[in-house]
Amino acid sequence: VSDTQQLARRLEREKQARKAAEAIAEEKTREIYDANVRLQHLNSRLEELVRQRTMELAAARDEAVRANQAKSDFLASMSHELRTPLNAIIGYSEMLLEEPEDRVRPEVRPDLDNIRSAGKHLLGLINEILDLSKIEAGKMDIFLEVFDMVALLGEVRATVQPLMANNGNTLEVRCGSDLATLRSDQTKVRQILLNLLSNAAKFTTEGRVTVEARRLMEGASDQVELKVSDSGIGMTPEQLTGLFQPFSQADASTTRNYGGTGLGLAITQHFCRMLGGDIGVESEVGKGSTFTIRVPAICPSAPPRRAEAVAQRTVTGTVLLVDDERVAGNVLGRALTQEGYRVVRAAGGEEGLRHAREDKPDAIILDVITPDLDGWSILRSLKTDPQLSEIPVILVTLMGDRDMGFALGAAEYLTKPINPKELIRLLARVQRREIAPDVLIVDDDQTTRDVLRRMLIKEGWTVREAANGTEGLEQLARAVPAVMVLDLMMPGVDGFEVLRAVRQDPSWRDLPVVIVTSKDLSKEELEWLRGNAIDVFQKGAYSRAELISAVRAMVESARTACSSRLSPACLRETPACSR
Amino acid sequence: MKGIVFTEFLEMVEQKFSPDLADRIIDAAELPSGGVYTAVGTYDHHEMVKLVSCLSLETGTDGDELLRLFGAYMFERFYVLFPKYFEGIQSASEFLEKIDDYIHVEVRKLYPEAELPSFGCDTSQPGRLCLTYRSTRPFASLADGLIRGCLAHFREPADIVIEDLSGGAGTAAQFFITRRDTPL
Repeated sequence: VSDTQQLARRLEREKQARKAAEAIAEEKTREIYDANVRLQHLNSRLEELVRQRTMELAAARDEAVRANQAKSDFLASMSHELRTPLNAIIGYSEMLLEEPEDRVRPEVRPDLDNIRSAGKHLLGLINEILDLSKIEAGKMDIFLEVFDMVALLGEVRATVQPLMANNGNTLEVRCGSDLATLRSDQTKVRQILLNLLSNAAKFTTEGRVTVEARRLMEGASDQVELKVSDSGIGMTPEQLTGLFQPFSQADASTTRNYGGTGLGLAITQHFCRMLGGDIGVESEVGKGSTFTIRVPAICPSAPPRRAEAVAQRTVTGTVLLVDDERVAGNVLGRALTQEGYRVVRAAGGEEGLRHAREDKPDAIILDVITPDLDGWSILRSLKTDPQLSEIPVILVTLMGDRDMGFALGAAEYLTKPINPKELIRLLARVQRREIAPDVLIVDDDQTTRDVLRRMLIKEGWTVREAANGTEGLEQLARAVPAVMVLDLMMPGVDGFEVLRAVRQDPSWRDLPVVIVTSKDLSKEELEWLRGNAIDVFQKGAYSRAELISAVRAMVESARTACSSRLSPACLRETPACSR
Repeated sequence: MKGIVFTEFLEMVEQKFSPDLADRIIDAAELPSGGVYTAVGTYDHHEMVKLVSCLSLETGTDGDELLRLFGAYMFERFYVLFPKYFEGIQSASEFLEKIDDYIHVEVRKLYPEAELPSFGCDTSQPGRLCLTYRSTRPFASLADGLIRGCLAHFREPADIVIEDLSGGAGTAAQFFITRRDTPL
């Protein structure tokens, strides 16, 4: 083999090797290109996947929102369904307890009492669960109003007194002299106090429960502090953590020994915060617990709904206020305006008489001592004027000559300092001129009608019934009753439509209407009812038992008025009672 | 077998013996590839066996001895061609321990189809390293040469005791390496 041939072979091998290397390089390049294409594809697929997943998540979220809404709706309707039979249980047991001894033997009374208290307990639990679900759904509204804190404390004290007595506890209420009026949600403040006091009563035996209320004004801050202390079993630091969490009590044995849902304090804390304040607790085992609440005296957050509602609703009546004392007059004027009355002010006797003739008020509130004419001579002038003699007059005076007032034709009589609520109740009593003592009950639930009818008949009233809205309107067309008791949720023509019809008809417009409902009223419904001069107290609407007692109280008051030939109208401070 | 083994082998023959000899053994071996190799290609390992035996015939040197010679040569070439595998490596044992866990892992990234031998490493005895070679091909002597090349590169004189694990086939062997001056 020659060198040339050898070199040629080597060269050929190198050439072939180069070509092979080039082919491999090309193949690798293509592989890399393909890999890139696959990566790009995967990348765009990933984006598509992410978009798809996002859509799935959004759909899942919407579904969850719908499910939550369905849960809220279910709770609302369930609470309605549960309350209706509970109303029968509580109502019948109460009625039986009021029967004379020859009809209900004494030995069954404790059983009846157990039925009633178990029913009430169950109602309380339903209300708490519903409250919490409303809070969690953000559907709990604040209704601001101006109210007297001292009066509220008095009312709460009366309510919890029997609870305190059960465990042999004494209750002391200490009010600071500067408490005055608050602008807040009265129902919620009441419930906060009732929750804390019923807890204190439950966990204290043969001890002392104290409520201290005072106003704290520091700089621009104006708050009310409520301290509820007891000398009960107290709590350990471990028990204190998570105390305000729903469904948590100090421990499981607490539930066994003391009952309850563990929702009360969670609700209480929510309420405090909704009112712009908060709640704190200090406790020591064996020594007792102190819950401290601070809420703004003038609740700032929510708009003054109640004031708006007052402005919207039709005027209940016109009241002439004759008073020379500016301050007292202002307080009364405000309270009256809030109740829907148009207030005409007169600074003295002459001016008062002139307004009485010009404005033809439904009632006159008269201070006996005025700068020009004294009260007695004004009263005499009013009662001797044929045009004015029918107008009821309420005397407001520092002097205690009640008989003289009545002799001169005054309908009612109050002594200073005046409790605005009492005044308004009197006003409601004297306002209408003539009545027939009959009641029209419009409710689709036969048990409710039955309970109400038997109760009212026992009180000496004539009762007519209608099983639905259409029947109700037919009954109204036949004869206008003294009072109508109206359910809101009925098949066909419901309570709202009946009410609308009543308020549109001139001959029915002044008919006092008591709403009896177990429906959870929405904000819109409440506002509508208020716009139609209906006062539906939020908490009252929860408990049918409370409503029944409200009707009963109203009937009693109407009967009293009836016996003195005055009209019933209705009790304004009673829950869910309305006009 | 990766092409680089063939190209490096022929270069060694040209360098250590002569280009003529290289040409002759390619001719004598009657290779399917015709002796056309590129470093990035892959070829039948039997061609290497044939080339080594032809070289042995031509030179009168034992085939295993030639493979050991080639192993030591190739290690130095690795150092020149792939310096990144030597970064931060201070000793022969550090390098030998990394063959399976690092070097072969990197090779497979570029050549997923490559069939690589395994080098199991046991350092449980101080001053002694036990390396176990296992392959589908009979190149235990090539591994021996690589190990010696590695020790020479890091200037670490050591004694190597070899135990054949394949009954003379040369596909598996254990190397007990004991450093002469300081422990490995």
